[in-house]
Amino acid sequence: MIPFDLAEPTSLAAAIKLLNPDDPTIRPIAGGTALMLMMKSGVFNPEKLISLRKIEGKFSTIAADTDGLRIGAMTTLGALERSKDVPKYAPLITRTLRTLSNVRVRNVATIGGALAHGDPHMDLPPVLMALGATLTIIGPGGERKLPVEELFAGYYETVLEKNELISEVHVPAQGSKKGAYFKVTTGSADDWPALGVAAVIEGDAKLIKSLRLVASAATDKATRLKSAEALLSGKTVTDDLLRQAGDAAIADCEFIADVRGSVPYKRELMKVYVRRAVRGAMDGMDGAH
Amino acid sequence: MTAARTITFTLNGAPVTADVKPHHNLIEMLQGEFGLTGARESCGQGLCGCCSVVVNGRAVSGCLYLAQFVDGADVVTVESLDTREKLSPVQQAFIEASAFQCGYCTPGFIMMVTQLLDENPDPSDEEIKHYLTGNLCRCATYPEVIDAVKLAANKRKAVATA
Repeated sequence: MIPFDLAEPTSLAAAIKLLNPDDPTIRPIAGGTALMLMMKSGVFNPEKLISLRKIEGKFSTIAADTDGLRIGAMTTLGALERSKDVPKYAPLITRTLRTLSNVRVRNVATIGGALAHGDPHMDLPPVLMALGATLTIIGPGGERKLPVEELFAGYYETVLEKNELISEVHVPAQGSKKGAYFKVTTGSADDWPALGVAAVIEGDAKLIKSLRLVASAATDKATRLKSAEALLSGKTVTDDLLRQAGDAAIADCEFIADVRGSVPYKRELMKVYVRRAVRGAMDGMDGAH
Repeated sequence: MTAARTITFTLNGAPVTADVKPHHNLIEMLQGEFGLTGARESCGQGLCGCCSVVVNGRAVSGCLYLAQFVDGADVVTVESLDTREKLSPVQQAFIEASAFQCGYCTPGFIMMVTQLLDENPDPSDEEIKHYLTGNLCRCATYPEVIDAVKLAANKRKAVATA
């Protein structure tokens, strides 16, 4: 890797001061697993990294109450996976984590990093969007709240300013809602997905009262499938309706071609997996295929 | 601006210091500063597990971990598992089950299996496969690795009850 400088501030406030909104060569680093790949391949060559690993410990904690989970942005995916509270309030997160990357990467990668990186192939962002999670973001002028749904601006792009940091992720309790995350990997089950679809549904065995459907990986960014949601909301689910929803979902997405599939292939996958994710959520089964 | 910094940490039980540059990863430091070659960089992307090192009780991919980040940490490598006289139960099980061919990936597998059995002393086939998804063996000794994990689990239980 090309040499760079590294600062290790001991508070979030100090880290924000070290970031410069006008200098893209200075960048925060949390777990670093994704950023290391970019630096090794020469895609990103920073002059200075601001490590967040020594900031206050409270940003690595998980708090739970009847409102749901408040997850510090520096919480590792491994800590999230092992937490006893996460499956009580958002079991879909625990199930998704088991299908994501591997033990070592989960031990280091953080939830804040997974979001701020803006990589559309990651599995957690669509799940958090489908669960209606919101972020606390801290910058020089104070803090603001932002739904995860509004975080992504495009391919590896977020709406975060270069001197803003995600400090906390709030996940509302899943309660009686059922959730599923289905992904398609064209190689092994643990490869980067060609498509991910998350569904979180309020309803009974057949009737959908309300739902949130989110697609990722096949798209330029994690994307809410609003046309498909509109078709399904308040309806009794039939095969025909699910087919219509799959077709409608295509119009909601900006597809990208990559080594995991062409655009026409991913459009076909979307039709099938919207159907499977909705059925999967209603049946209480998620899947990684 | 990218001057080396001196960091202090515990390596296989002993307090040590090392001069590291910010862009050096953990594997570069273990090999360059300490001559420890058990953890090695292979895929360089955190996928293959050859660079498995335990930091503060958790396995990490050393190739994706900045050396500087172990300042103050407890670092354990495969070199700590055996004594001069005796291999660890996991190491012995890999030999008895012939769970390797060329052996390049073996230190990483040994580290991850040791971690697995620390967390789950009696794993099922599915749990073994799930835990080891991030360890690749290009000689494809996977069936023998699963046998070795079960053998190691039995050996560890025997040691624990002895």
